[in-house]
Amino acid sequence: MVSLLRTIRSMRRVGLREWWHQMQYIGDAKSGQFIGKDQFGNRYFENLNPEEEIPALLGRHRWIDFAQHDFNATQVPPEWHAWLSHIRKDPPTEDRVMQNLSPPWKAPWVENLTGTRGAFKTYNTTKPKYEAWEPKVSARGGP
Amino acid sequence: MSFLRAGLAAGPSSRLIQARLASVGAHSMLARRMLSHTSRLQAQAPKHSEVHHPVDHLAMPVKVRSPPLDASFPPDTKVGDEIDPYKGGPSAIEKAVHLFFFTEILRGMWIVIEQFFRPPYTIMYPFEKGPLSPRFRGEHALRRYPSGEERCIACKLCEAICPAQAITIESEARLDGSRRTTRYDIDMTKCIYCGFCQEACPVDAIVETQNQEFSTETREELLYNKEKLLANGDRAEAEIAANLHADHVYR
Repeated sequence: MVSLLRTIRSMRRVGLREWWHQMQYIGDAKSGQFIGKDQFGNRYFENLNPEEEIPALLGRHRWIDFAQHDFNATQVPPEWHAWLSHIRKDPPTEDRVMQNLSPPWKAPWVENLTGTRGAFKTYNTTKPKYEAWEPKVSARGGP
Repeated sequence: MSFLRAGLAAGPSSRLIQARLASVGAHSMLARRMLSHTSRLQAQAPKHSEVHHPVDHLAMPVKVRSPPLDASFPPDTKVGDEIDPYKGGPSAIEKAVHLFFFTEILRGMWIVIEQFFRPPYTIMYPFEKGPLSPRFRGEHALRRYPSGEERCIACKLCEAICPAQAITIESEARLDGSRRTTRYDIDMTKCIYCGFCQEACPVDAIVETQNQEFSTETREELLYNKEKLLANGDRAEAEIAANLHADHVYR
């Protein structure tokens, strides 16, 4: 019953299949303009109509549809993270500033791998300052 | 339903306050003292006091609003001049009607019904996120110059200013003679995310990125070393540089 009209309107716009997908993941029926797709297949949407989605100060007008079933907030690459968190106005496909400041040596994005075998395990980056004592027994010289 | 409409328009309590404010404003000169607010000692004071009051030479020649010391009591008010704080407010019957018909509860429930038909406010994290600032201080990163050379020159200003003493730096001269860090460790469990390190840095090497989703399952994953910090910077350089560019007029 939560804004039944809104749910029906979104369902008619996006279709039954997409609506079912949204209800399984986002948990809310949303409809808007398709903005872009990142390298992982996540899809990004936006709806700037304040009558349909709560606008900027709260931030329901931009959303993501994750490609993976086991979704995770860190699966968003940083360029799209800036757009999704409302830091940048334009998506990275149109943001000239972010495109120009993107260096050629940029490393690929990896999601937060904690709890898996790929989790970060810290190590020493310097030579150790002391070494453990290793006993050396010289051979006893017999007569 | 007329009483309900009247209550919805202004509300009984607000009207009462308005009436009270208006009456106080109109009779502020007369409201000096009421019998109920006067102590018993003054109430029994003689009409013409014969007590000698010393002359106050420091008294300022201004007209004092308060009654003089030898003022007679009661002050020159007539019967009927007393203030009725309930004058102009709702009558007892009106208040009783609002009480017995639960009009305040009905008005509150009407607000609930209004919210019921509005688009919901709940942000469905992680599909939707609230707004962040380009100055947001999250996970740390070490940046590089556009040529790929690392920025940090091991000046140790960040280590010095860190209030939580979370940063540990060791440095050595490289083969080409430039001084670089061999150890740049940040204990993220000690860090208080105050941002002093990125303010202290003369070359914009250590920054706090806008990434706040770096929670881990174990504590030792949060003991970052230099490789991890450089990797953070390499992955998020576009976002970091864009945020610094967005903020550069204020820096």
